[in-house]
Amino acid sequence: MAQPSPIAAARRNSELGLVVMAAGITAVAYVLAALGKNSEMPATVVPFLIALLGLLIAAHVAVRWMAGGADATLLPLAVLLNGVGYVMIARLNDERAAKQTTWTFIAIVAFVLTLIIVQRPPDLARYKWTFLFVGVGSLMLPLVPGIGSSVGGARIWVSVGPVNIQPGEFAKIALALFFAAYLAEKRELIAAGTGRIGPLRIPELRYVLPITGAWAFAVAVMVAEKDLGSALLFFTLFTVMMWVATERALFLLIGIGLFAGAAVVAYNLFEVVRTRVAVMIDPWSQYEGKGYQAAQSAFAFANGGTAGTGLGMGSPNKIPAASTDYIFAAIGEEMGLVGATGVLIAFLLIIGAGMRVAIRAERPFEKLLAAGLTTIMGMQAFIITAGVLRVIPLTGITLPFMSYGGSSLLANYVLLALLLRVSDSVARRSGEVPDSLTFNERMMARRLRRAEKKMARA
Amino acid sequence: MNKRIRRLTGTLMALYLVVFLALNFTQVARKEALNDNPLNNRQTIRDFNRPRGPIVTADGQVIARSVPTPDGQFKYQREYPQGLLFSNVTGYYSYSFGATQVEKVAGDVLMGDTPAQKAEGLFGGADNSGSVVLTLRSDLQKVVADALGGREGSVVVMDPTTGAVLAMYSFPTYDANQMASHDFAAVEDVADFLNNYPGKPLLANTYQERYMPGSSFKIITTGIALENGIISLERSWANETEWLPPQTTDPIQNYGGRECGGSMAQVFYRSCNIPFAQMAVELGPELMVQGTRAWGIGEPIPFDLPNPASSNFENSGGDPIDFANNLPLLAIGGFGQANDAMVPLHMCMVAGTVANGGRMMQPYTIQSYLDHDGNVLQRTNPQVWKTPISPATAATLNGLMQQVVNTGTGTQMQLANGIQAAAKTGTAQLNGPGEPERSHAWIVGFAPAEAPRYAIAVMLKGTNDEISAGTGGRLAGPVAKTVLDYLFSTEN
Repeated sequence: MAQPSPIAAARRNSELGLVVMAAGITAVAYVLAALGKNSEMPATVVPFLIALLGLLIAAHVAVRWMAGGADATLLPLAVLLNGVGYVMIARLNDERAAKQTTWTFIAIVAFVLTLIIVQRPPDLARYKWTFLFVGVGSLMLPLVPGIGSSVGGARIWVSVGPVNIQPGEFAKIALALFFAAYLAEKRELIAAGTGRIGPLRIPELRYVLPITGAWAFAVAVMVAEKDLGSALLFFTLFTVMMWVATERALFLLIGIGLFAGAAVVAYNLFEVVRTRVAVMIDPWSQYEGKGYQAAQSAFAFANGGTAGTGLGMGSPNKIPAASTDYIFAAIGEEMGLVGATGVLIAFLLIIGAGMRVAIRAERPFEKLLAAGLTTIMGMQAFIITAGVLRVIPLTGITLPFMSYGGSSLLANYVLLALLLRVSDSVARRSGEVPDSLTFNERMMARRLRRAEKKMARA
Repeated sequence: MNKRIRRLTGTLMALYLVVFLALNFTQVARKEALNDNPLNNRQTIRDFNRPRGPIVTADGQVIARSVPTPDGQFKYQREYPQGLLFSNVTGYYSYSFGATQVEKVAGDVLMGDTPAQKAEGLFGGADNSGSVVLTLRSDLQKVVADALGGREGSVVVMDPTTGAVLAMYSFPTYDANQMASHDFAAVEDVADFLNNYPGKPLLANTYQERYMPGSSFKIITTGIALENGIISLERSWANETEWLPPQTTDPIQNYGGRECGGSMAQVFYRSCNIPFAQMAVELGPELMVQGTRAWGIGEPIPFDLPNPASSNFENSGGDPIDFANNLPLLAIGGFGQANDAMVPLHMCMVAGTVANGGRMMQPYTIQSYLDHDGNVLQRTNPQVWKTPISPATAATLNGLMQQVVNTGTGTQMQLANGIQAAAKTGTAQLNGPGEPERSHAWIVGFAPAEAPRYAIAVMLKGTNDEISAGTGGRLAGPVAKTVLDYLFSTEN
C-alpha cells in the first residue's frame, strides 16, 4: 500500500468524487429509461443503486491501495461509459441486461486482480514471448473445431460449456504487450537499419522478422476469421507502434501502403467487404436486405435530433444490433446529439489521459505500452462510431465499455487496469508520489531478512 | 518518441472530429429529410407514444381524444366517442394509413409540434399537446344524421355570412375507431372492406365527391343570366313541352315531359327546363363558362380540410367541351344535367351566396386552435371567396327561391312558426333513355329568407328505386325542414 502522499490523496479524492458522479448519472439515467419506457419507477432501483455503488467503490478502493498515483480521470470515464451503456442495454433487452450485470461484476474483479498481479510494469516486459504465444494462440482458438463457432459471419467465438467468449478481445492486449516489450528492446536496432535499398536504410531482417511475422500472422488469422474490424484495428496498432518506437516515417508509409493494398485485395476477395462498402454509400436501395440496419441507424439518429427523444422514448429496438455494434445509434436516438457528443468527448478524454501517461513515461516500454493501449481504445471507438455513421464501412466490433458483450467488457477493464498501473508507475518514477515497496516486494524483503538472520545464526 | 505520440494524439482527435461532424450531418443537417423518408416510421411510433390533444365541437363535445393504454403496444389509443357521426370530419389517426381530415390538418397542433407550442415545452418534456375547436355542433350533426335516416346522401349546413360549417354528414360512412385500432391486421381488413364498398365511405362525400345537380343548378344559370342582363323578372316563356336547340334534331323536354312555362318566377318555382336551356344558349358558351367560373366551378373549394373536390361545368372526362360546336350540351348544362357536377358543400355555398347578398364565403370547419392551456393559437377569420352576383341579383334570386318554398317544388321545406325559407330543388336524371329511372334528389336553400342565418344543402343519392322515383322537393325537402326547424327551435 502506498505511503500517505498529498498528490496521491488529491488524485484519489478527485477520482472518488467523479466515480460517485458517474454512478449518479447512471442511476438517474436508469430511472429515466424505466420511466420513459413503462411510465413507472423500476422496482429494482434500490438494489441496482447499491450494487452499482458497491462495485465502483470496490474498483476505486483497489486503485487507492495499489495505484495511488495514477490518473484520476480514467476510471470515472470508463465507469460513466459502462453505466450509460448498461442503461441502454437494460432499456433494450432485459435478458442481456442481466448477463451484462454479471459480466460487469466479473470485469471489475478482473480489473482489481490485474492491479494486484501486475505491480511493476517492467515485470510484464519479461514475459513478452509468453504474451506473443498467448496472443496468437487465443486468436486461433475460434478456428479449433468443436469449440470455435461463427456468429454473423465472423468465426471469433469460443464456447466452453455455457460461456461464450471472444478471445480476440484479449489477444489485442497480449499482442500490444508483446509489441511494446519487443520494440522497447529493439527499436534502436530497427530504426538504425544497416541494410540499404537505394537511398533507403532498411532494418536488419533478424530484428524485424519476429515482429512483422507476428503481425502478419495475427492479421492473417483475423482475416481468415472474417473479423475485419479487429484486423483493421490491429493493423493500425502495429503501424502506429512501429512508427512511434522507431521514429521513422518509413514504417508509417509502409503501413499506409500495405493498408491500401490490403483494402483493394479484400474488396475484390470478400463479398462481405463489397456489401459493406455498398451499404455505406447507399443503404436505401438495399433497405429490405443488407442496408436495413444502416438505414434504421440513420433514422434513429435523425429521430433523436439535438436533444434526443428521451431515454426509453425512442425506437432503438428497430435496429437489429442496437445493443452491440449499433449502441452508438441507440444513444444518438434517445440522448440526441448532446448525449452522443458526450460519449465522443468521454473517449477523447480517455485518449488524452492515456497519451499523457505515454508522454510522461520515461521508460520506452511504459511509453509504448501506454500509447499502444490508448490507441486500441481510441481506434476501436472510432472504427465502430464512424462505421455506424457511415463515414467508413461498418466492421462489427464493440464500442469499448458500452456495447453488450462480456469479453469486450472484461478485456477493456484489464486494459484500463494496465493503463492505470503504468500511470501510477510514471508518478512514482517522477517522484510525484513516494516509490514505496509493492506488496510483493515487501514479501520478498521479509523472506530475505529471514534468510539473512538464518545465515547470521549459522 | 513524444513528438510522434503527440502527432498520434492529434490524429486521433482529428478522427473524432470527423465522427462529430458526421454526427451533426446525420442528426441535425439531414434530420428532416431522414424523418420524412417514406421508409421511416419512427416519427409515427414516437407520435403514437405521445399524448395527442382532443378535437372538440362548437358545443364542447369531445369527438376525438387520446386515452392512455398502460398495457398497450403504444402508450395512447385514439378514440372517437361519437363513432360514425363525425368520422368523415375528424378523419382517423391510424398507424398504418396515416391521418385524414381534421386529424391530418391539425396534426401539428394536436401533437404540440407547432413552433409556438415547442417553444413553451422546450425539449419536449411536458405534455404540450394542443386541441382543435370545430365550428360543427354535435347536436345538429345528430339531427342531420337522423334526418338522413340511413339513406345514402350528404347534408351540409353552414352559416352563409361566415362560411362556418355547422353540420356536415354523409352516408355511408365508417367508424374511425376501427381505422385507429392498434390491431393492424384488423385495420387492414377494415380498410380493404371500406375501399371496396360502393359508396366510398372513407371519403367525405359532402366535399370530396361531386354529383349531378339537376335543377338546383338553375340558381346559377339564373344568376348568370341576371348578371348579364339578358333576363329580368318581367321576362316570360311560352308553355311548351319540347324545344329544339340549334345543331340537333333531338328536342329538350321538361321534367316528366310536361308542358311548362310562364313568368320568370313561375318557370323558376315550377322548375321548367326549357327556359333555362334557352338562357344558356342565349348567353352563349363564353358568358356561360365565365359565369360558372365566377361561382367557383372548376376550382377546388378553398376548404380547411384536405383534398376538396371541385365542381364541374365546362369539362367532359377531363377535357374542355367545345360548346360552340355543341350547343345542345350547353343547353342541357343550363338546367343541371349532362356534364354538370356539383360538390354538396359547393351547392350549400351557392345557396349561401344568395343568402349573403352575393358574396360566397370560404367554408371552414376549424374555429380555432388552442394550446395545452387553452390559449388561442390561431382563430379562423371569415373570408369572401367569390362574388359571382351583385346584391340586387341576390335579392332577386332570394325572392325567386322563396316562391319555390311557398308555391313551387319546395313546399316540403315550409318551416314551423312561419319562418320564411328559400330554396331550390333538383332532381338529377342519371339514366339514359330506356334505362331504369335513377335520379339524385337535391334541395338547397336558406332561412330566414329576410336575414339568413343558415344555408343548407341536402342530396339523396339515386341508388335505389324509392329515391329515384321521387323528386328533390318531396325527398330532400323534409330533411332540410327537419334540420332547419331544429336549428330555430334551439335558438330560444
